[in-house]
Amino acid sequence: MLKIIPLEESIGCTLAHDITEIRPGELKGPAFRKGHVVCHEDLCHLERLGKHHLYVGDLAEDEIHENEAAALLAQALSGEGVGWSNEPKEGRINLVAVHDGLLQVDVRTLTAFNMVDEVMCATLHNHTLVRKGDRVAATRAIPLVMKRSAIERAAEIARLNGPVLTVAPLRRARIGVIITGNEVFNGLIEDRFAPILKEKVESLGSEVGALDFAPDNADQIAATIRSQLERSCDLLLLTGGMSVDPDDVTRHGIWKAGANELHYGSAVLPGAMFLVAYIGDVPLLGVPGCALHHKTTVLDLVLPRVLAGVRVNKAQLAFLGHGGLCRDCPQCHYPHCPFGKGL
Amino acid sequence: MQEPKDMEAVESLLASSAAAHGHLCPGQVVGVRMAMLGCRLIGLDDPASREQIKKLIVYVEMDRCAADAVAHVTGVKLGRRSLKFMDCGIMAASFLNLETGRAFRVVSTEESRDLAHLYAPEIPEKYPRQIEAYRRMPDNVLFRVQEVRIEIREADLPGRTRTKVACARCGQVVRDRREIMVHGVPLCAHCAGRSYFRDAREVCLVNLEASSLSRSRRENRSSQVLTSGGSDCVH
Repeated sequence: MLKIIPLEESIGCTLAHDITEIRPGELKGPAFRKGHVVCHEDLCHLERLGKHHLYVGDLAEDEIHENEAAALLAQALSGEGVGWSNEPKEGRINLVAVHDGLLQVDVRTLTAFNMVDEVMCATLHNHTLVRKGDRVAATRAIPLVMKRSAIERAAEIARLNGPVLTVAPLRRARIGVIITGNEVFNGLIEDRFAPILKEKVESLGSEVGALDFAPDNADQIAATIRSQLERSCDLLLLTGGMSVDPDDVTRHGIWKAGANELHYGSAVLPGAMFLVAYIGDVPLLGVPGCALHHKTTVLDLVLPRVLAGVRVNKAQLAFLGHGGLCRDCPQCHYPHCPFGKGL
Repeated sequence: MQEPKDMEAVESLLASSAAAHGHLCPGQVVGVRMAMLGCRLIGLDDPASREQIKKLIVYVEMDRCAADAVAHVTGVKLGRRSLKFMDCGIMAASFLNLETGRAFRVVSTEESRDLAHLYAPEIPEKYPRQIEAYRRMPDNVLFRVQEVRIEIREADLPGRTRTKVACARCGQVVRDRREIMVHGVPLCAHCAGRSYFRDAREVCLVNLEASSLSRSRRENRSSQVLTSGGSDCVH
């Protein structure tokens, strides 16, 4: 059992937890570590930190200290691509990305975990792109000492229902780009899509393996798709013909090319006329015209997920609705903004 | 997460449980899954079967929808003494394997109600959402489990009546040690002041039936009068 003793009687006692020092604007960190034996010189410092009593002593058999608890929680929460080191600071352990990739958070299990009174875990948003070494989450136990069974229950919830936190690496795709539209195909106007898409694709570590142009003709679009698949493109981006005019035939072309799954329309602005289809396992993304005018669109939300191996379905496009409205800021700060940060 | 095979079992038990209970409700889902988990924990895979039914005692702590579902899935019955009602008002049940002596108490978590909107976010109405969410929630989110020790008295076991004692005040025979000793003499629960009713008045069954019969005849006659009176007016 822990005991509370007055500061003046604490010389020679062992501290049961870290003691934090906060000097505004200067530092926040542990002034004394758990296990430190209090000596005479410490008394002034501790008094300055507002300590008049200290926790000292040992735990009962069924109790657990916050530092040990934090390690159990970190272990249970971390999945593939998430690492941590057993160096709790003030009871908290940081979880970091061990490689670049897409952070995936099982929000339901995370919430069920946080429903246990004695624990907490805070994370970045689900589907955030992270770099190796980025802190993606932090966890700690709330009390200094608690029943071990509470921590074990929280850890079990985290561990047994699939990993709560993973960082999925983005695959290096060979991307086929198809620019559709009679005007561009016939040379009446110059295409502006290809360079924009190329930049986005390359910033995610993939390459444009083929770039083709097709007129507003479903058969020719289908033939171009098939030709790019034969040239071993494993992800296709199509622009143009994504709207509702009679000349907008791109999705008919995608059907004709043999799509076995097609979802047209997403709950995102900009990006309502977005399209996701699959021919076998190869994803095809139909990029609406908004990507020409807006720095960030639905494509920036979905493309990383597709590269991380997520098979996008209608429900996922629907879930984008909450947080799917761009604020159209004069200067775009994405990803440091609420866009696409719903479930 | 639930295995597909488990889900099939849940769905089929849920359908029969809802039919027996009268409706499908969140309590049915909780009860069906509580019973499946409880039986699994004490090593019974087919509790209602002839081989296993005598090994199981279930203590339900609530008289709510879930209690019916637990009884339905496990096959325990009040009259077989395999179903014990502990009036605690808690969404929980304990499952005791008489053969091994092991028992587990499964408690429905309060937080599962708050988590329903995360597990079935696409369903706006409260009860349909809870029904679907409780299907999807993993066991360790839907329930807390304790291993418990249950010392069951000989007089509470299924099987023949163990004792019969006459109440020293009213003469009523009391079975299975339910008599209450007051000042050294056995009394039935009612005479010992632990009754659930009051103002008991012995009635003669013959008179009672006769009086209720004449009352119903009187009511029939008055309705006929009304009918004939009504037709008189028409003609």
